[in-house]
Amino acid sequence: MSPLGAHVRPAGLGMPGRGAPPDLTDPQAERYLAAVMTRLPGTARHRAEIIAELRSGLLDATDAYRAAGLTAEQGCRMAIGEFGDPARVASGFHAEIAAAQSRKVAGTLLLTGPLVGLLWIATALCSHLGVRFAIPWHHAGAAATEAGLLLVAAAVAVTVCAAAVSLGSTGSLTRWLPDRPGRASAAAAIAGFAAIGADGLGLALLAAQLDLAPGRLSPVPACAAAVASLARILLARRAARHCLALRATLS
Amino acid sequence: MRAEALKGHLDGILLAVLEPGPRHGYAIMEQLRVRSGGQLDLPTGTLYPALHRLERAGLVRASWSEAGGRRRRVYELTPAGRGALDTERGAWSEFSAAITTLLRPASLEPSAP
Repeated sequence: MSPLGAHVRPAGLGMPGRGAPPDLTDPQAERYLAAVMTRLPGTARHRAEIIAELRSGLLDATDAYRAAGLTAEQGCRMAIGEFGDPARVASGFHAEIAAAQSRKVAGTLLLTGPLVGLLWIATALCSHLGVRFAIPWHHAGAAATEAGLLLVAAAVAVTVCAAAVSLGSTGSLTRWLPDRPGRASAAAAIAGFAAIGADGLGLALLAAQLDLAPGRLSPVPACAAAVASLARILLARRAARHCLALRATLS
Repeated sequence: MRAEALKGHLDGILLAVLEPGPRHGYAIMEQLRVRSGGQLDLPTGTLYPALHRLERAGLVRASWSEAGGRRRRVYELTPAGRGALDTERGAWSEFSAAITTLLRPASLEPSAP
């Protein structure tokens, strides 16, 4: 018995490890866990982790009933009854899953944003040097380029603000402020769509430049930036939709 | 005591159960039962999301640990969790003192002049 095990088990209630059966649960326990699992949204990994924790809790509860004299099967049935309706248990996790996913999406957008941005800046700088100090992107039309860059800046600002709201309404601040997984999911989705806007505009500016002055682009950083933005558009689209779907599961 | 009656206090109660040291989900449930003298009627399954919420707020820390051949997720208070528990205790003392005074039968009130 490890010191931790001794600590976490209240005295007099079956000791796991001493005569405890291996962790092959009763078929009724597995049916119960499967019923909870099918009602959980979120990533496969997150769901598996939740089910693993519930399984160990069910086994502990079953052990306690066995120690009190019940058979394994009776103990398991009692433990399942004690855990509660699978739909109710699963719905209790909906907010946690929505919050976790929102935080992941918001954090990823905030981390990848500067990287993709640097690639675009590198493209502009390299192309600028390559065209003998001409104004970068000049050939795409100065006014259109300026407007495009302003729009990119606006989209980046929306992404950053929405991602910050998403992280703020589900993290440590919830010690003092209300916990808002629904708001976090919506904000993460907005951040995702705004990031798609920023990346899409970057690609549009690149396309305009290619169309008007194809020879005046530094190809390596331009390709890297385009690939990075394209990948981010695809991933952000999926992530934003997922956040909205999770938001819909919140009652 | 139904889960509804606990609304708003479950977080504080969970922090109090974790105050003596780390515990896993089922041990927390048993402690809730023992400490409430069996008065607490809460489906065990609803305890876990509450613990995950506390973890997200940084009030508890969770880690997987293995004991007796079984992997369990063990929760322990963070310093912020201890602070939140103190705050919750103070707020509850004030609230319960006020309600106790308000609910006192009129016959026990000091007579008005």
